[in-house]
Amino acid sequence: MDWRLRNDGGRLVASPTGRVDEESWKDFSKQLNAAVHDAMDAKVPLVIDLSGLEYMTSKGLRALTLAKNEAGGAVAIRLAAPNATMRRILSISRYDMLFPVVDDVDSEI
Amino acid sequence: MLVRFWGTRGSLPVASNADAALTRVVRALMIARGRSFADAAEAADFARTELEFATHGSYGGATSCVEIDAGEEAFVVCDMGSGLREFGINALRRCAEGHPRVYHFFLSHPHWDHIMGFPFFRPAYESGATIVIHSGHPDAEQALRRQQEAISFPVPFDELKAHISFEVHRPSEPFQAAGMEVTLIRQTHARGSFGYRFERDGKAVVYSTDAEHRPDDMDFEEGVFEAFFAKADLVICDTMYSLADAVSLKQDLGHSSNVVAVDLCHAAGAKRLALFHHEPSYSDDDIQRMHFESLRYEKLVRGERPELEVVCAYDGLEVDV
Repeated sequence: MDWRLRNDGGRLVASPTGRVDEESWKDFSKQLNAAVHDAMDAKVPLVIDLSGLEYMTSKGLRALTLAKNEAGGAVAIRLAAPNATMRRILSISRYDMLFPVVDDVDSEI
Repeated sequence: MLVRFWGTRGSLPVASNADAALTRVVRALMIARGRSFADAAEAADFARTELEFATHGSYGGATSCVEIDAGEEAFVVCDMGSGLREFGINALRRCAEGHPRVYHFFLSHPHWDHIMGFPFFRPAYESGATIVIHSGHPDAEQALRRQQEAISFPVPFDELKAHISFEVHRPSEPFQAAGMEVTLIRQTHARGSFGYRFERDGKAVVYSTDAEHRPDDMDFEEGVFEAFFAKADLVICDTMYSLADAVSLKQDLGHSSNVVAVDLCHAAGAKRLALFHHEPSYSDDDIQRMHFESLRYEKLVRGERPELEVVCAYDGLEVDV
């Protein structure tokens, strides 16, 4: 898994690519946690651009939960641009009920 | 080994009702669309092959009770939920045909839904029966005696005629019972629960119910479970909630999800997963949907691994291991 983070005018956009699975979830969680703190410091929302992700297993999903817990109410986190596989995984796990999911990185909720 | 599921529901026994039965009959008639059948066997074949399980069958509503039939030495039974009553009736029939009247029980924990079948276990009332109750909880005997106190049940525990003994075991100290090697693992649940790994003749079955896999324990705890499940031929897993519910509304209630069970089995190289301990508020359609979603998830995240077979346990299911 690769990870990029950019400041995109009033929000942070994190872009993981590849797979988040039992091999890569720790790195994903660490980067995500750091991004949450960056967003808290900058007082901006965090968008996680899922377009480059092949898929994410439950460890990646639960890393999202840990990040949300870390953010508390201080940072809004939303998921953007999941591919068909990720959209199904978000639906099967019901994580689309825990996080706002938008079709495009630039979409508003 | 042959694994028989006598009770697969979590927390509370449930029963179907007239509306649910009518819904199934109407759905079957609509699919049949006036088709006629020569006899009952042909109609049954149609039902089994052309109707979904939630239409021609039911997942049942008895609470946790799973038999592992590994040979002729003794009966091996995980948990004593309300499914134990049916098992007891069936066991008496097998004993009449010559099966030894020896029963080894393995308790995940003494919560009510896992012991409520014992007062209705007919072999316990037979003087020739021997019952050994294995547990990780030293107070398992107290729990069984208490549910047969006068305020709760008319027959006191001491009036049971079978020879009943209790053995307390510790995790990671394998022991022999009923011709199998048995290992325990401590699980996250209110007051703790225990999973069991049964091995015999190169085959392994894992029974892991009432086990929560919390997000903040992923790093260490799940590696331990992956090792416990390693290369198992069948893993019976608590899949009571969706993952989202398990980490939010239902957190700390001590249960897990279908997607975590799939991931643990994938990482462990297990061959087959049985979805188990179904949420009592789920209808047959809900459980079937959860099964289909689990199959889909397994395929989506399989990667380069061999396929993990995912079955959905129901009362009456037999799995040949």
